[in-house]
Amino acid sequence: MLDTFIQGLFVVLEWQTFLVMLVGIFLGFWVGLLPGLGGTTTLALMLPFIYKMTPVEAFAFLLGMHSVVSTTGDITSVLFGIPGEGTTAATILDGHAMAKKGEAGRALGAALMSSLIGALIGAFALALSIPIVRPLVLTFGAPELFMLAVVGIAFISSLSGEGGRALLRGVLAGLLGLLFALVGQDPQAGVQRFTFGQLYLWGGLDLVPVLVGLFAIPEIVDLAVRGTSIAGELPPENLGKGVWVGVKDTFVHLGLTVRCSLVGTFIGIMPGLGGGVAQWIAYGHAVQSARDSEERTGFGKGDVRGVLGPGAANNSKEGGSLIPTIAFGVPGSSSMAILLGAFFLQGISPGPDMLDKHLVLTFSMVWTMVVANIITVAVSLLFLNYLAKLTLIRGSVLIPFILFFSFIGAYTSNNHLGDLAVLLAFGFFGYLMIRCGWPRAPLVLGFVLGRIAENNFYISTIRYGSAWVGRPLVLVLIALTVIVLFFPLIRSKWQESTKGETQ
Amino acid sequence: MKALVSLRFILGFAAACIAGYALYASLHWPFKTALFPRVIGFPLLLLALIEMALSIWGVEKEREGHAVDFELTTAVEPALAQKRTLLICTWIIGFLALIIAFGFPLAVPIFVFAYLRIAGREPLTLSFVLTLVSWIFMEGVFDRFLHIPFPEGWILGLWR
Repeated sequence: MLDTFIQGLFVVLEWQTFLVMLVGIFLGFWVGLLPGLGGTTTLALMLPFIYKMTPVEAFAFLLGMHSVVSTTGDITSVLFGIPGEGTTAATILDGHAMAKKGEAGRALGAALMSSLIGALIGAFALALSIPIVRPLVLTFGAPELFMLAVVGIAFISSLSGEGGRALLRGVLAGLLGLLFALVGQDPQAGVQRFTFGQLYLWGGLDLVPVLVGLFAIPEIVDLAVRGTSIAGELPPENLGKGVWVGVKDTFVHLGLTVRCSLVGTFIGIMPGLGGGVAQWIAYGHAVQSARDSEERTGFGKGDVRGVLGPGAANNSKEGGSLIPTIAFGVPGSSSMAILLGAFFLQGISPGPDMLDKHLVLTFSMVWTMVVANIITVAVSLLFLNYLAKLTLIRGSVLIPFILFFSFIGAYTSNNHLGDLAVLLAFGFFGYLMIRCGWPRAPLVLGFVLGRIAENNFYISTIRYGSAWVGRPLVLVLIALTVIVLFFPLIRSKWQESTKGETQ
Repeated sequence: MKALVSLRFILGFAAACIAGYALYASLHWPFKTALFPRVIGFPLLLLALIEMALSIWGVEKEREGHAVDFELTTAVEPALAQKRTLLICTWIIGFLALIIAFGFPLAVPIFVFAYLRIAGREPLTLSFVLTLVSWIFMEGVFDRFLHIPFPEGWILGLWR
């Protein structure tokens, strides 16, 4: 095992792999920095480029890019008070407050160093979990794998909004995603489903145009509506001062940073959760770490611990979320769902093979995350002053280029104009979803899991009849589904009633 | 607010139509093909009808049902936002029309230049430089380096 682990590092350091990883890091670096461009969107945009790569190169490229997005996203959050990424919003509370106090450099130093520590802990959690996860995976049959898909969609649906209405919309989006995945030839009987006589639809809807449409088009529309640069009209100030004080702060509060990293890793492992949740729980834990109520009032006004917690968690969750993706083929988030698509594009099935036949590839992913984050933090610390200026590029200059890359990215998935129609259809559907408060993450998860879920459901039904529902692990997973669906509702009702009582 | 409510109704209605069509289509398929679409279709139809009913009669609290997702800006005046939304949607559809008419290699520089000059009101020199960059990307990376087969534009096809 140790030999394979070290071999994973050497594979990443081979010059071709290292080079494509650097390209990935370069892209992720800017994507994280620009609020208009999401890491998930870019991951989808970059999928067509991996066709000709080897699996190690492909994942070095994609993970190199993805694992640094949250790191540089913190920079925009701190400087401008707008999240560079959806996963870096919690950093704003104290990070931006510090920037307004003239401590932007300190906040950035703390955010970057805690991000690095978080990423390292997440990556090594992934490596350490492999011997534990390996025997567990082998006990999972088709019924359990089907139920895992259901649990994943239930998780992401229940946590995609506030209140019962959000749960309804989350489940609706997840079911729609499952249904969209059924377009094309049925794998069991070869019957055409929902193809409307179009040859293009025989192979089903392709992942890339669907994802690029869902994520890129609404962001382009919003950027055009705002009519400003993506960072708005905020001038960059006090960029580089006190960086090293912030770095030192990370080590002064090392216990908090490590605990928040572990929180992030754990949340990353849970299918359907992710950075959006991890950062806030970590922030809550950071606030909890205050010794008294007086110290607690400093949070939100520029306490460095409010930067360290989310900074560490939003990076460590990447390693955590890779665990269910690799071991079970159950992605924990939209970006992991896209990464799952990359596995299929490379002809690799996530699951037991990743912990046996492709173990070097799995360990190369761990090392990619480690090396990519070290490089990013080192470069960021050197060039902090210049980085932020990019967010001031006018939207009118960026829009034609984002559209160009969106269209070409979608087209290259099948080299068919039908891909562009799918891109636009899902783009406008995604925009409508946002307008109406429907979450997109369950739809993506449902779409990616649709075929897997159908195959496992079919195998379970044919092999065991209805008896598969009574298998012990299936019963546990059914109970888990019910809990994850209704627990947030019950908790919010309980919180409302206690709030009412105290008032 | 009323418009938003009706938009929510329309989205719920669309989901119900999709589910209804899936269930109807599954009537003509063999059992093993129809099994999973039915398993998905029935709850989808039921939940979509609930969403539609709630959109008409339900009173939604300010933050209830709010998705944990990217949020559209509220800083721009609604009428202006609507105008800009329609405008960018026209540009996006226009880009698709250009690709169909002229093919990717010509459509990309035409679109980039037109957008920069008309929508962005960018200076001529900058527009030229950025158009050149887009053309180099299109020709150099996607056409010459990656050899992506681009279909000939409809208008160019008529020419020959």
